[in-house]
Amino acid sequence: MLFWQMAWRNVWRYRRRSLLTVLTISLGLAFNILMRGIGDGFHEQMVDNSVRAGIGHIEIHRAGYQRDPALLKTLPDLPLLERVAPATPHLIGCSFRVLGDGLASTAENSSGVRIIGIVPETERTVTTINRAVIAGQFLDEQMSRPVLIGERLAQSLGAGLHDKIVLVVQAADGSMGAQLFRVAGIFRSGSPDLDRGVVYLLRKDAQSLFSLGDGVTEAALLLDSSESVAAAQRYLASRLAGAPVEILPWYVVEPFLRQFIQLDDAFFYIIVLILFFVISVGILNTVMMSVFERVREFGVMMALGAKPRQVVRLVIQESGALALLGVALGATLGSAATILIAYTGLDLSHYAAGASALGITTTVIRPELTSQNVIVSCLSVMLVVLLVALYPAIKAARLRPVEAIRHI
Amino acid sequence: MNVVLAAAVLLWFAFAAPGAEAPDALTIARKCDAALKGRTERGKAAMTVQTPEWHRTLEMTFWYDYPDKTFIRITGPAKDAGTGTLRLGSNMWTWLPSVERVIKIPPSLMLQAWMGSDFTNDDLVKESSLPTDYTHRVAGETNEDGDLCYRLIATPKPSAAVVWGKLVLLIRKADFLPRREEFYDDHGTLEKTLYFDQIRKAGSRTYPMRWHMVSHVKAGHETTLTFTTLEFDKPVAAEIFTRQNLERRF
Amino acid sequence: MPQIELIHVSKTYRDHVSVRALSEVSLTLEKADFAASVGPSGSGKTTLLNLVGAIDTPDSGIIRIAGLEITATPASRLAEFRLRHIGFVFQSFNLFPVLSVIENLAFVPALQGMPKAEREARAERLLAEVGMGALRDKRPDELSGGQQQRVAVLRAILPEPDLVLADEPTANLDSENAALLLDMMGRLNRERGVTFLFSTHDPAVMSRARRLIRLRDGRIISDEVREP
Repeated sequence: MLFWQMAWRNVWRYRRRSLLTVLTISLGLAFNILMRGIGDGFHEQMVDNSVRAGIGHIEIHRAGYQRDPALLKTLPDLPLLERVAPATPHLIGCSFRVLGDGLASTAENSSGVRIIGIVPETERTVTTINRAVIAGQFLDEQMSRPVLIGERLAQSLGAGLHDKIVLVVQAADGSMGAQLFRVAGIFRSGSPDLDRGVVYLLRKDAQSLFSLGDGVTEAALLLDSSESVAAAQRYLASRLAGAPVEILPWYVVEPFLRQFIQLDDAFFYIIVLILFFVISVGILNTVMMSVFERVREFGVMMALGAKPRQVVRLVIQESGALALLGVALGATLGSAATILIAYTGLDLSHYAAGASALGITTTVIRPELTSQNVIVSCLSVMLVVLLVALYPAIKAARLRPVEAIRHI
Repeated sequence: MNVVLAAAVLLWFAFAAPGAEAPDALTIARKCDAALKGRTERGKAAMTVQTPEWHRTLEMTFWYDYPDKTFIRITGPAKDAGTGTLRLGSNMWTWLPSVERVIKIPPSLMLQAWMGSDFTNDDLVKESSLPTDYTHRVAGETNEDGDLCYRLIATPKPSAAVVWGKLVLLIRKADFLPRREEFYDDHGTLEKTLYFDQIRKAGSRTYPMRWHMVSHVKAGHETTLTFTTLEFDKPVAAEIFTRQNLERRF
Repeated sequence: MPQIELIHVSKTYRDHVSVRALSEVSLTLEKADFAASVGPSGSGKTTLLNLVGAIDTPDSGIIRIAGLEITATPASRLAEFRLRHIGFVFQSFNLFPVLSVIENLAFVPALQGMPKAEREARAERLLAEVGMGALRDKRPDELSGGQQQRVAVLRAILPEPDLVLADEPTANLDSENAALLLDMMGRLNRERGVTFLFSTHDPAVMSRARRLIRLRDGRIISDEVREP
């Protein structure tokens, strides 16, 4: 208790130096929290965009489809799936689709395309593609053989609204399927892959084109947030146990996305490491100075009977006090900054071109503040400060009273 | 005197004896290529495609005017009858009777299967030439089903627009007809094997009338091409290889 | 039993050059002695104090304090020994700047484990006894040099050590404050029987000592008992 008192008072003894140290720690921590928040917000956005562009939070296929897709690998036991999937916890929407590949052709040009057969009503609840339509309209069950194509595909095929496009595919029975479709709408999703290589048909038209009968290739589920994936997966796995299906979360369907996030996180940690290193150097300097200035005092202390480890404790407690102040201030500043920017949003439209290459379509980022983020950052900073202070503390404890007392 | 005579006889045998000199690899390749292709070809064939899930047989009539003109018309079954493929140089079109449209096959799809078979668009178009686009060496001889064959290894030249890493051909020593062609990718993996059999007379030539392609990448996928009639080097009208011909209602 | 015993004690400092600080010194002090060791710089008087105070260890010889052989005590236990048996007064900078007078006084009892109420009560009584109660809550930088030294003495005797060692305690004081300091120490010695050993070259201190030990070149050259 006595040492705590001394430690605390020693902090205020060197007022300016302490203030500077506290400021350094707090700014470093605040920066850490804010950047982490922006990073997390950014990643959540990316995941959200991808998920809503088509992959959903969870995809269900016949087992083995992901590894080796084939037209004939349609969903087994469709009635069971149509009962189970819509009752998934945290579900916002569920869509059953037909997937295949083929050739889209006009008089001008041909292009290989992904063909997705959808039911417009349910598709709306799962993806945002209907909001990306820039000309014409989204698919409607009343239309006759409509097709929805991306802007870039429209350009390369030279196809405009209401023009006819031939879709040629290899059907499920091996024969060549070819049908004419009329362009009902053109979309701009912002993702080059979608805009250039995907066409949407009414599911019944796709089934007819591919000679699939009632077959459906996948069920895509949209949840309220990516945090709910684990719970939804558990539910589906238990209700669909025994059925030859694969239940895939978004990061298995699109591992690139998660890998990118992990890579990004790794870069962030490197930056944080460098930051901590810089802060450590500053603190080390401060603590060493304050120890050096008090060599005589430590000598007297030890002559009077204080044990070396008590001296270590004193120095560590001083640094600990500085760290606590710095962390308290830093956590407050960092959290406040994160909340403020989350409210106003971070507009990255300057970097839109690069962003769309990564599949990001909205360019306003809202940082996230999580208690985990804040707590981990605070603890890391405290740990670093205490570790750094250990060196001068031990040096102080190793002083020989005889020499220390003679020190001026 | 006897020694001189004996030496002379030996020398004569060494140089003049027939068959003492094996042909070099390039010659073998040239002769094989020439044995398989005429200046022009026309005929009828049946192609059966087999997969674990389905099998189908297509009947077709075809015309070739080497090196760069091809025309194929599917004559059966009814669902596919009327479909046509025209190739002029590096361009390829297909006529689809069901939608009454011609579609152009872009270069990016040249490796796609033709009509679901194990032959690709590229195979059909036969743009690459064995003698000119590859370097060759002979790696011994084997017996393929009673035929004594050269084993020819063809490696694509760096400038050649060829998708394979390596081809291995078993070519009959007697008439340079191929018995087998193995297709390897860039990593040395065997992707598919083409067997040639039913070798008999077709017009003025001896020819393998059955070509059987087996895929090693897709289990259970095989395609068999059987020629029912085949004529070589007869004149083929130029108007066959036109878009109008392609679009003609069959 | 003598309070302090030194038997053939030697100490050499190996710095850039070897210096024989003490050479085969033998000495005995009794309880309540009021002794001064005197001599020029380098005579060994500070070394003598350091060794007696167990903040340094001799190269050879035996030292006993109140019967305890500190030369046989492991180095790790010396701090504990000092805590319980020795009081120190240094030439200057004795007090901890962040603690008040009463907290400075209570420092050693705090290290000994005495609870706060008790140790502060004792400190207050001692301050009152010498009439310095008003200084209780002042910080050292609010005191004069003389006041600081007197507080240092009080701090040294509060835990009732076996002996108090003072290394040139009057060196930085004017003659008036020096006298006040010596008065206090003399009184404590007489009234409580606290043993004092100074090292000094201040004649004022020498004149008050009842035992004068002269050192030169690490040896005792004279040791007289006198009436101050």
